[in-house]
Amino acid sequence: MDDKLLIGISAQGATVAHWRGRKIVECRTFTDHEAGQAGFKEHLARFPIVPVHIVVDAVEEDYRFETLPHASGSDRADMVNRKLKQHYRNTPYLSAWLLGRDSGKRRDDRYLFSALTNPELLGDWLQAVIACGLPVAGVYLLPMVTAGLLDKLDVKATNLLVVAQHAGGLRLTFFRDRQFRLSRLTRGDSGKAESGTRYFTDEISNTRLYLHALRTMTLDEPLTVALIDRGDALQEAAAGVARDNPSLECVRFGRRDLADRLGLDEALLEASPYAIYLHLLGLKEPHSNLAPASVTVGYKRYQARRGVYAGCGALAAAVVIWSGTNLYSAGMLRGDTDDAARRTAELSSRYLEITRQFPQAPTTADNLKKAVEIGQKLRETTHSPQKMIALVSRALEASPAIVVREFGWKYGTTEIETGVARTAAVADPAAQTVTITAGPGSSRKESALIDGEVRPFRGDYRSAINSINSFAGRLAGQPGVAEVRVVKLPLNVNPALSLSGNTLDNPEQSAGTADFKLLLVLKAGI
Amino acid sequence: MNQSDLQALRIPLLVLLAVLVAGALAIYFTAQLMTVERRQLVQQQTQLKQAQVRLQKSGDEKDIIVSYLDRFRQLERTGFIGEEQRINWLDGLRLANQQADLFGVDYQISTQKPYPFASEFNPGQLALNQSLMQLRFRLLHEGDLLRFFDALARQDAGVFTIDQCLLRRIDNHGVIRYQPNVNAECDLSWITVKAGAAAERKNP
Repeated sequence: MDDKLLIGISAQGATVAHWRGRKIVECRTFTDHEAGQAGFKEHLARFPIVPVHIVVDAVEEDYRFETLPHASGSDRADMVNRKLKQHYRNTPYLSAWLLGRDSGKRRDDRYLFSALTNPELLGDWLQAVIACGLPVAGVYLLPMVTAGLLDKLDVKATNLLVVAQHAGGLRLTFFRDRQFRLSRLTRGDSGKAESGTRYFTDEISNTRLYLHALRTMTLDEPLTVALIDRGDALQEAAAGVARDNPSLECVRFGRRDLADRLGLDEALLEASPYAIYLHLLGLKEPHSNLAPASVTVGYKRYQARRGVYAGCGALAAAVVIWSGTNLYSAGMLRGDTDDAARRTAELSSRYLEITRQFPQAPTTADNLKKAVEIGQKLRETTHSPQKMIALVSRALEASPAIVVREFGWKYGTTEIETGVARTAAVADPAAQTVTITAGPGSSRKESALIDGEVRPFRGDYRSAINSINSFAGRLAGQPGVAEVRVVKLPLNVNPALSLSGNTLDNPEQSAGTADFKLLLVLKAGI
Repeated sequence: MNQSDLQALRIPLLVLLAVLVAGALAIYFTAQLMTVERRQLVQQQTQLKQAQVRLQKSGDEKDIIVSYLDRFRQLERTGFIGEEQRINWLDGLRLANQQADLFGVDYQISTQKPYPFASEFNPGQLALNQSLMQLRFRLLHEGDLLRFFDALARQDAGVFTIDQCLLRRIDNHGVIRYQPNVNAECDLSWITVKAGAAAERKNP
């Protein structure tokens, strides 16, 4: 609910207001005596940890308007701190408010320095607050809070003097162009009606003279006096002020008027003169917080804790939304899955109903068809050596000198083993290779290895090799042949090998054998 | 931020940590749940599509069964479909040897293995296997080899392919009489097909 405690402190005592739901719900006053202090502590102890905002109404206050060279960052902070220490050596309650830039050529920074010059006034009350563990958010001078009153009163005046009777005297705060310029608290009491009117008139006149002396405004300038009459007892004083000072416009704000404009309970206005300021303080924190860091450290921790808790809350909310979205999506997906399962079951049921009318089959229709087709294809594509034997036989008919000793046949992805390294055969210049290139493909093909000899052989290698090459050429000329390769010849004339023999030309005497090997490959798919 | 500030923020930071851990776990588990549900949906949709296709093709299925069932039974009887019928093969060998007038056949059958060229037939759910049979026999002449294989095929003992053969002439020193003149060594592959049970269709 954003609770806070608003405390107004003056030389006469303290007023504590409990702020909740953008209004004061309780207001109590304690005098500056032992009993009052004890009551104050007792009252504070009732509250949980809520931030405390303090407004001080004291004679011992000081305001200075100054211009400083324009600076920023730590330079500005150092300069302002030096200036504050220079002006106010004996109090920790001081503040500098940057009002804006000067209109001159240098565009200097304009500051309002303010301070509570009697820190003892605050001492006991503040100690009690801190002792209760309540975090102090700020300490403000009452005229700074009064600035918030201008919007509520809605007085359109260049020079406005707000006058109010407080416990300690008459508070006069001057605003020029709605900006705070001066405030003073006079000791004394309005007393009886006759002397009261005189008292008000005198103090207003004194203030005008003081403003004139400060060159803040001249005596000829019109001035509007806003008389805060929370007790409805200043009608005569208002009339007297207006009568004695024709150049003044005096506007009195009675209790009902104040209550309406501020949204404040009339009973609260009656209870304490500080109710107005505490209400304004509750609505908006003013500038010029006098509290040093040592006083507000508790509030900073309080804010940090709240920040972390707020972060936790935001995080938890994000997690809930994210997880919720995931769960919702999962639920939707589950629903879709169930729906698909239901439809699948329906279709399967209809399918089963239909299949009951099918002939009894040992397997699925697809398997049935495939098995039959595979069997048929295997039988149709079966290869045997028949084609290769016929092919070789045709070539042999025209080569009577060629005798086949061994015939190997293979149907596979690789060719039949020749038993001779291919590189050696190629290196042999006598080994002529007749090659018909077939199309590309790694499918199975038929290949054959013919191991034979030339008969008769009487040592005429040239003739034997010619016979072998002629035989190979005839094979290569057969349709369907992809390649014929002579892998071995009767004579190896490779210069890397030694060679020996006998040239004797005697038909009765054998000159060795003219062995050869031929590799025959058919085109794939034949 | 000093030590005392951290001390003051200890509980809120612990709460933040707990929220972070709990949040991460919640998001992780719900995301996992969603992934599982999505996967199940995809599977179920695939099954639904299959069921739709199956139902649409049920008429075709009946036609296929009617037109292929007899031939399927025939292949079952020959031993091509189902378990290997090695006794049939040996009977086939014996009869082929007699019909081709050979001098006896030595055989050796290896263990059954998957048929390496099965993919050429796009078998689908069918499993094609082969058993290699090595044959050694003697021939009067080369023509007997082809007669022997023709006779073996006629026995209808199964489906086989000839992988390789080696014919080697026997040196009889020119003596001409009724005797083997050629040694033959051949490798055959007996191929069988295994089909799934009919229950597959009954429980889609």
